[in-house]
Amino acid sequence: MSILDAEHRSIWIVAAVLAVAPLPVLGSSYYEGILAHMLLIAVLAVALNIVFGQTDQLFLFSGGLAGFGAYGTAILADWLSISAWITLPIVALLAGGIGLFVSWVSAKRNFSVVLIAILTISLQFVFSEVFVGARDITGGSTGFRYDYLSFDAITAATGLGSKLVVYYAVLVLLVASLLVYVRLVDSKYGVAFAALREDELAAQSIGIDVVRYKTTAGFVAAFLIGMTGPFIAKEAGYILPNEFSFFAIDVIVLIVLIVGGLRTVVGPVVGAVIVVAIEQILAANASSWRTAIFGALLIFLFIYFQNGVVVSVRERLERSELFERYLGDSNAD
Amino acid sequence: MVTASTLLGVAVDGLAFGVVLALLGVSITLVFGLGEVLNLAIGIFAVLAVLAARTAINSGVGLAVGVVVGLVFIGFVGFVVDRTLLRFVYRSTGEDRILLGIFITLGLAVLFEGVLINYFPAQYGLSLGVEPISFGTVVLTGSSLAVIALGGVALIALLVFLRRTFLGKATRTIFQDERGAQLVGVNLRRIRTFIFVLSAAVAGFAGLIHATGSTVSVSTGFEFTTFALIVSIVGGVRSIIGAIAAGLVLGMVSQFANFFVGSYVATIILFVTAIVALFAKPEVLS
Repeated sequence: MSILDAEHRSIWIVAAVLAVAPLPVLGSSYYEGILAHMLLIAVLAVALNIVFGQTDQLFLFSGGLAGFGAYGTAILADWLSISAWITLPIVALLAGGIGLFVSWVSAKRNFSVVLIAILTISLQFVFSEVFVGARDITGGSTGFRYDYLSFDAITAATGLGSKLVVYYAVLVLLVASLLVYVRLVDSKYGVAFAALREDELAAQSIGIDVVRYKTTAGFVAAFLIGMTGPFIAKEAGYILPNEFSFFAIDVIVLIVLIVGGLRTVVGPVVGAVIVVAIEQILAANASSWRTAIFGALLIFLFIYFQNGVVVSVRERLERSELFERYLGDSNAD
Repeated sequence: MVTASTLLGVAVDGLAFGVVLALLGVSITLVFGLGEVLNLAIGIFAVLAVLAARTAINSGVGLAVGVVVGLVFIGFVGFVVDRTLLRFVYRSTGEDRILLGIFITLGLAVLFEGVLINYFPAQYGLSLGVEPISFGTVVLTGSSLAVIALGGVALIALLVFLRRTFLGKATRTIFQDERGAQLVGVNLRRIRTFIFVLSAAVAGFAGLIHATGSTVSVSTGFEFTTFALIVSIVGGVRSIIGAIAAGLVLGMVSQFANFFVGSYVATIILFVTAIVALFAKPEVLS
């Protein structure tokens, strides 16, 4: 594989498009913030694409892990009186460790997808309780200002707005996560993942170490999610438990992944663009119905577009093109 | 120093909460055992019953009638959901059905929550107005005793139904062997509908009796769902008796943890208990 093959090329195209995307809204920190939010959701969707898309482990605690990353980075930086830039990778590794542990136990114990879902949704609830309840260190439901992960040096040197700098930082994170995704899927890991999805028992019998592959996926995904969390708070400028609730993160990320298409490389990005666009339209016209509409959307998508809206639409287009060409040929005869 | 009578009071509150948890656990277990559908909307069903009852009572009917309205309403919602959305779920099989069930009921929970929050933004309760009852030095919460009595009767009624009636036996047959049940002439789809409605009503009943002692809000729905989930995993996902036992134990754990350490730490203890149980006895669960 090379860095210029088809999959990598699509990543570079996405990166190039996203690099110029803020140009039309330059100077508006509101829209720059929305774009940054869009990329953050995309990174979370890439992570879920690895752990759920590739290995069928339904992690329903992305919000909790992201919150763990965000709160952890800030709190650890304060405790140790060091820069959040140092605590960020440490906490992300810890988040990865949580993912690894969940995957390891689930794989060892042969948990079905239902049990992983229950286990992680319970953990999500625990995380939320701690964010709200441990007032002394998290500030409870009033949160605290998120001044960590300072970009002052960059904003001073380049003169760019702080939201824009956050946007580009997240873009780097997104491209890195997409590269990790392709690297994983194109390696022996990808082959093993495919074998596991087909038939776990058969995969095991030909010598695939099920536990190892699943824990790798769990670690990588949780690490990425833990890495993303602090930027969610950074983008908002303020950290609140609500930013990391099940409904704010997990539900949205699931929709993004289904809209974009499970197991596609740039699907999470396309999904994030579509879902954030819908979010903005709703925010302007029907903000109090936002949750309800996303719930309905989730039901609708899973009934009719399980393989991803983008994938289905493309397939349908291709089929109709083939159909026309076929018809055209037969008419010529 | 904590006196014995205080501890007894906590134990009664714990038992009351345990009964609510047991009912929630049973309602999620019934549906999962019967058709591999993990109903993540179960919590919002419980809340919905309370809101329907509250609305009816506010419009002038008595408490008892209000409770019946809540139960009938949630049963009807269960029926509609089963006939419409679950149709798509039962059409698929195996892993696909499990995933589809999770996502559709999750979407349903989000949808209900999003709609309801616009109309019911506050906390809602159904106070019975029962005074605390004292036996000598022991003072017990009146509503807890009522919850234990009502919930206990409901649980016993459920068990009797499942063991003694034809419909109950047919249900348990499907739990044990779906194909075998079909071969002896059990109408799978009809029983699934019936059990889904029953499970919605059981969840609604759990919400209603819980609301006699405290209040619920729309966001309590997710909390109820997670409680129902941990009860069902501790109880063994497919076992009704297991769910009841797990509910009672976890209710006690929760209230005692609440009494001794308080606040969110109690919730963490509750969930850690559940997760330890999940790790400790995998064979019942897979």
